[in-house]
Amino acid sequence: MDLSLFANPVFLVQNLVDGLSRGALYGVYAMGFTLIFGVLDILNLAHAATFMWCAFAGYLVMAVGGLPLPAGLAAAMLAGALIALLLELLAFRPLRREGADKLSSMISSIGASLILVSLAEAAFGAQTRRFPNSVLDPKPFYIGGFSGVRISRAQILILAASVVLMVGLGLFIRRTKMGKAIRAVAASQKAARLLGIDVNGVIVVTFLVAGALAGAAGILVALLTNNIVPGMGNQIELRGLAVVILGGMGNIEGAVVGGFVLGLVETFTIAYAPGGSDIKDAIAFLILFIILLVKPNGIMGRGKADRA
Amino acid sequence: MKKSYASWIVAALIVAVDAFLCVKNPQDLDRLLINAILALSAFATLHARLLSLASAGFAAIGAYASAILAIKLGLPIWLSIPAAVLACGIVALIIGLPVLKLNDVYLAICTLGFGEIVRVSIILLPSLTGGSTGANLSTGFAYEAMKQTRTWELALALLALCYLFWATSRSKTGRALRAIRENPDAAATMGINVVVYKNGAFLASALIAGLAGAFYAHSVGSLDAGDFKFSRAVDILSYAVLGGSGAWFGPILGAGLLTALPILLRDGLRFLKDFSQLPNIVNGLALMLAIIFMPGGLAALFARRSSRASEARGEASTPGDGIEDAEEERVSGPMLAVEGLSRSFGGVAALCDVSFAIERGQVIGLIGPNGAGKTTLINTVSGIFPPSSGKIKWEGREIQGRAAHRIASGGIARSYQNIQLFGEMSVLENIVVGHHSRIHTSLAGSWLRLRSEKREERAARAEAMALIERLGLGDLADQEASKLSYGDQRRVEIARALALRPRLLLLDEPAAGMNEIETAALGDFILELKERGYTILVVEHHMDLIMKICDEIVVLNFGSKIAQGAPEEVSRNEAVLEAYLGRE
Repeated sequence: MDLSLFANPVFLVQNLVDGLSRGALYGVYAMGFTLIFGVLDILNLAHAATFMWCAFAGYLVMAVGGLPLPAGLAAAMLAGALIALLLELLAFRPLRREGADKLSSMISSIGASLILVSLAEAAFGAQTRRFPNSVLDPKPFYIGGFSGVRISRAQILILAASVVLMVGLGLFIRRTKMGKAIRAVAASQKAARLLGIDVNGVIVVTFLVAGALAGAAGILVALLTNNIVPGMGNQIELRGLAVVILGGMGNIEGAVVGGFVLGLVETFTIAYAPGGSDIKDAIAFLILFIILLVKPNGIMGRGKADRA
Repeated sequence: MKKSYASWIVAALIVAVDAFLCVKNPQDLDRLLINAILALSAFATLHARLLSLASAGFAAIGAYASAILAIKLGLPIWLSIPAAVLACGIVALIIGLPVLKLNDVYLAICTLGFGEIVRVSIILLPSLTGGSTGANLSTGFAYEAMKQTRTWELALALLALCYLFWATSRSKTGRALRAIRENPDAAATMGINVVVYKNGAFLASALIAGLAGAFYAHSVGSLDAGDFKFSRAVDILSYAVLGGSGAWFGPILGAGLLTALPILLRDGLRFLKDFSQLPNIVNGLALMLAIIFMPGGLAALFARRSSRASEARGEASTPGDGIEDAEEERVSGPMLAVEGLSRSFGGVAALCDVSFAIERGQVIGLIGPNGAGKTTLINTVSGIFPPSSGKIKWEGREIQGRAAHRIASGGIARSYQNIQLFGEMSVLENIVVGHHSRIHTSLAGSWLRLRSEKREERAARAEAMALIERLGLGDLADQEASKLSYGDQRRVEIARALALRPRLLLLDEPAAGMNEIETAALGDFILELKERGYTILVVEHHMDLIMKICDEIVVLNFGSKIAQGAPEEVSRNEAVLEAYLGRE
């Protein structure tokens, strides 16, 4: 290991910037994932496939359609909401009616995920898609000259968008009437129904919001890595699970904190640990397993009643 | 039987189609056999209501471990394959022991991550595995050196596994797994160590997947990390889900159908010829459609095995009614003493500093308004959850916080306020579950079909049958428990609790949903149990029943004990009247 790395403040700040933007992505992705778990108590294992399709939707609108960045973001989030709506109607709702157990919903979402990924493979092939430079100027900004800290336009966009989404979701859940209804359904579907809440309607809104978040994460990851393939969901799926476990299943603030923790840990391991880039894929699993061993409710875990 | 007629046609069709394909292309037979073994691996977990996505990961470990041992160390495959399977078992225990104590969702998460890590590790260890470049033959995975297993060996392994699954399903272990599948909490209060069985199921799944992986390596002759990616785990799951997780032969049919279907579609429909995603889409659709429209899978088409009640009736050679007189007390002092027991849920105190004692042979009534903490008390005593503070002394020993299955086999049985029977099992089988800790034949013994097992099982069935008849449920012994009327289900719950041969019986609203005649009969039955030495704690709202049967009554309100004493005493108690009727 190069010890001089520790004395280099520019390198440190650079990794902080990279780690925070990476963590912001994990956070946005995991918020949607944990929201569905918090409300319905089921793992939506098609969340990663939704994420991937949204990256392609944004790509098609911007790179093929030639529309500007805001249109691409909107298209990706819209696509996410639509796919999530389809999942709710086709994969989850039929099982809720039958009164089947949680396992069935998970299995159904696994099937849906496989179909979505296979359709993407059939439609787009295995070759990598990249954005043209006109979408987002790839030239980074430098703070403190060329040897200083580098921050790309994509990273700035990610940090800004994720703050907006995190604060927005928080306000939506806490302050709006629909947010209150979502929390009521999360606490008890039966009680919410007795109180006159349209439970299925609330669940549809939950899926729309979660899908839009997957969409935002998808297009932002695509802009950051500029590497759009049907298999791109695999890499975030495991990380999303680790983040959700880290923050406590169903805990939205926990997902945000967990996202930043994983983003920073990964970035710093790659930067400072010998052979760090080889083990970066294993970090998420290690965190996941260790949390399950020592603190299975996550670092911010709470009971079901006040979740979501 | 119309139902089983159709099922045999389906099974025959699947076999015929697979046979046809294998004759046409003999290589498909190896693949079919390996898929069937993998399907059994998925079944092992799914049958115990565990969603594990680790089968592909374990298959990868089995495949690479056996291949590396065979080629780099030159081991013969009859050594390399068992060693690879053993490696899978060790990894399964490392993952399973911590994770299976938690909620079942965590197993799905952890195994999903595990599969991914195995795949990444294969790619990151190119010197051992050939890395990600696919069938990297240059590192020594040479085709001829590898290709060593013969088709008949695979078939033999599958047959052996089928036998083991069949024998297990008829054993005490199979019954315990079915009970866990139906209702893990109730299984634990029947003395079944749920965590051990779940770990066993996960371990079995890993060993079988490892075996399939090792066979795959030596049958195909080249390995690629891509053979074991997530979609492979989903394939394996879809065999078991389409086939059905209720009976072991279902997943084999599922594997047969899903292996053949893409081949048939491609041969039959020209435009699908080059559609390489077809198998994945077929499997994904099969998963969704099966779980939504056919939750029992193909296996559910077959008629349920009879629980052989009539046979058990004939075998009831020992005169008696299936109720053993309660054993003598082992130590002096109160049988059960609750001292300062408290339990809170997220800040709400459901039980607050409750103390009382039960002497041997007493019938104690536990009453109080709704939400007073009666069921919470029963749940803490029976080990469903530990108390927040306080002591529970059972025959002088502290048992608070002990696991439910240990408390059950220690002599405390219970019934549930909201019925918790094993709904899809027959009434007879529900009650035989209570004999779990008294049937001593080990799993290995069941595999060898020892005489002692047959004897033990027959005795358990006969005894259970006598108990059923004593409770007036004789005609219903073969019925599925969930099909019974409410009152009958309550009686089955009491019978199941008695089958544990407990010294203390906790009855949580046993008369709820019963009419007056049934309630009176229940009262007489409880008094008869008392005569025969049982000690009973009964929670009830029927005050007539409580007044008739109880020696002493404990009254709870808002989690605290507000009164205790003889029935007449309590019925005149000011605090009790206030709690029930409100201040006047």
